[in-house]
Amino acid sequence: MHISASGFARVFQYSQMFKEGMLCTVYLSFFTVVLGFVLALLLATMRMSDINIYRLLPRDTQRSLRLKGGIGFALARFNPISFVASLYVEVMRATPLLVQLFIVYQVLFNKNVIDLPAVTIFGFLKLNRFLPGVIALGLNSGAYLAEIIRAGIQSIDGGQTEAARSLGLSQMQNMRFIILPQAIKNILPAIGNEFVTIIKESAITYTIGVQDLMAAVKAAQAGTFLIIEPLLVVAVMYFCLTFPTSKVIAYFEKKMSVGDRRNGGDRQRMRKRKVGFAGKGEQEIPMYEEVAK
Amino acid sequence: MNEKLIEVKNLKKYYNRGAIKALDGISVDINRGDVMVIIGPSGSGKSTFLRSLNLLEEPSDGEIIFDGVDITKKKAPNAEGKPVKLNIDEHRQKMGMVFQHFNLFPHKTIMENLTLAPIQVKRMAKAAAEEKAMKLLHRVGLADRADAYPIQLSGGQKQRIAIVRALMMEPEVMLFDEPTSALDPEMVGEVLEVMKELAHEGMTMVVVTHEMGFAREVGNRVLFMADGRLLEEGTPEELFGNPQHPRLQDFLSKVL
Repeated sequence: MHISASGFARVFQYSQMFKEGMLCTVYLSFFTVVLGFVLALLLATMRMSDINIYRLLPRDTQRSLRLKGGIGFALARFNPISFVASLYVEVMRATPLLVQLFIVYQVLFNKNVIDLPAVTIFGFLKLNRFLPGVIALGLNSGAYLAEIIRAGIQSIDGGQTEAARSLGLSQMQNMRFIILPQAIKNILPAIGNEFVTIIKESAITYTIGVQDLMAAVKAAQAGTFLIIEPLLVVAVMYFCLTFPTSKVIAYFEKKMSVGDRRNGGDRQRMRKRKVGFAGKGEQEIPMYEEVAK
Repeated sequence: MNEKLIEVKNLKKYYNRGAIKALDGISVDINRGDVMVIIGPSGSGKSTFLRSLNLLEEPSDGEIIFDGVDITKKKAPNAEGKPVKLNIDEHRQKMGMVFQHFNLFPHKTIMENLTLAPIQVKRMAKAAAEEKAMKLLHRVGLADRADAYPIQLSGGQKQRIAIVRALMMEPEVMLFDEPTSALDPEMVGEVLEVMKELAHEGMTMVVVTHEMGFAREVGNRVLFMADGRLLEEGTPEELFGNPQHPRLQDFLSKVL
């Protein structure tokens, strides 16, 4: 089997399909990330929740419960909300994505259960194929993202929360201003990895008839009898989607790590100083000027 | 001057269902203007006691009455005497806390570290908060570091910033949890100096420390704790000059 330029030229006749396929993959990934992230935040919060029978009892009872052992004690420690979230995460991680996809498409979006109208969205996408694909991918990546988020939040030193709470910040304010900014910085590489994985794994939705990049490959292969050229084209197209994604994440990573570098603050000042130089010619500008906010 | 600010009654803290008694019934009154220094061997419950005062540790039993409100209860009577849900955040604002490991927020500049709580909790205007922060920074000699990040500061500088951060909320009492234990010896002085100044200004302070010199010089009351119990209490002269309890005598012979 050899690869020829004329082969690529013939594949090019299918450029419209590839373009739509690429758009489809982008839409798939985007909605999957949104759904996955919302689900992950919910799951992570559930797993870290501190809810048990204690909370329903007045404090004095709680204290005496705490001092006694046995089944009552174990039962009082049981957190049903965390348990449900853990169960979900374990099941989603322990079963193949392809199986989950088929279950969602063939069982959940069966005509007898949820009958989606045969409409097109974004001009060319079949809703009754696209939506099950997004939901299956989102449910799956939500489980992975939940673990990443939980690990990120729990990686922050407990002293940070203690300092924030001792200043009178509420639990929500502590999360918003202290914990999440640091946690997100720590988990950005893992999140970037997950986003890239979502883009690539979205190819699996081809199996339920979503018109993504893989569908374009199949059409081009069938129409031209060329095997390898369409595959190479689509490999490059996937790369063009994933590579910038990881670069964008890397940019944010660098931007957020300003408090990690000993010269971080100075570097910002230096940048301002250079701007001053460009505009003001030979005017002398001190090395450590106060940066106006 | 002898007005009670914090009244601790029979405070207990158990771990492992009572197997470990970190605090085994502590009762003490902290008056306004007191500089109370808590000493004792490690594992004696000093830090647990201090952290219980603003409920960073939830006590297993006992009462902490701060400004007339028992903050260990879920509900407290409001102005009309009706029980309403107690908002611990409101009480924590009035208790500044300084930690052994500083616990500055590494992703925020010094200025942001100082102004976060006043702006978000007290709803202070940003400009006013920054002005106040600059004043306090001048006082501790760190005004030029306002735009730096915590990692760019030395340990002593970090701890001075941590003290300022707590002072920004204008607390009624400052709790110090071994503020100099994580510092290099040459930096201990600069932090103690700031604390000394605070004490002279009349700030109510509760200090857990191993700095016996500070306890003797600045403290007006010294507490000796061991095994979760308060074994001896008195003026620095009494405790250091004429220790009664054999555990205290033993402890002092080791540290002095």
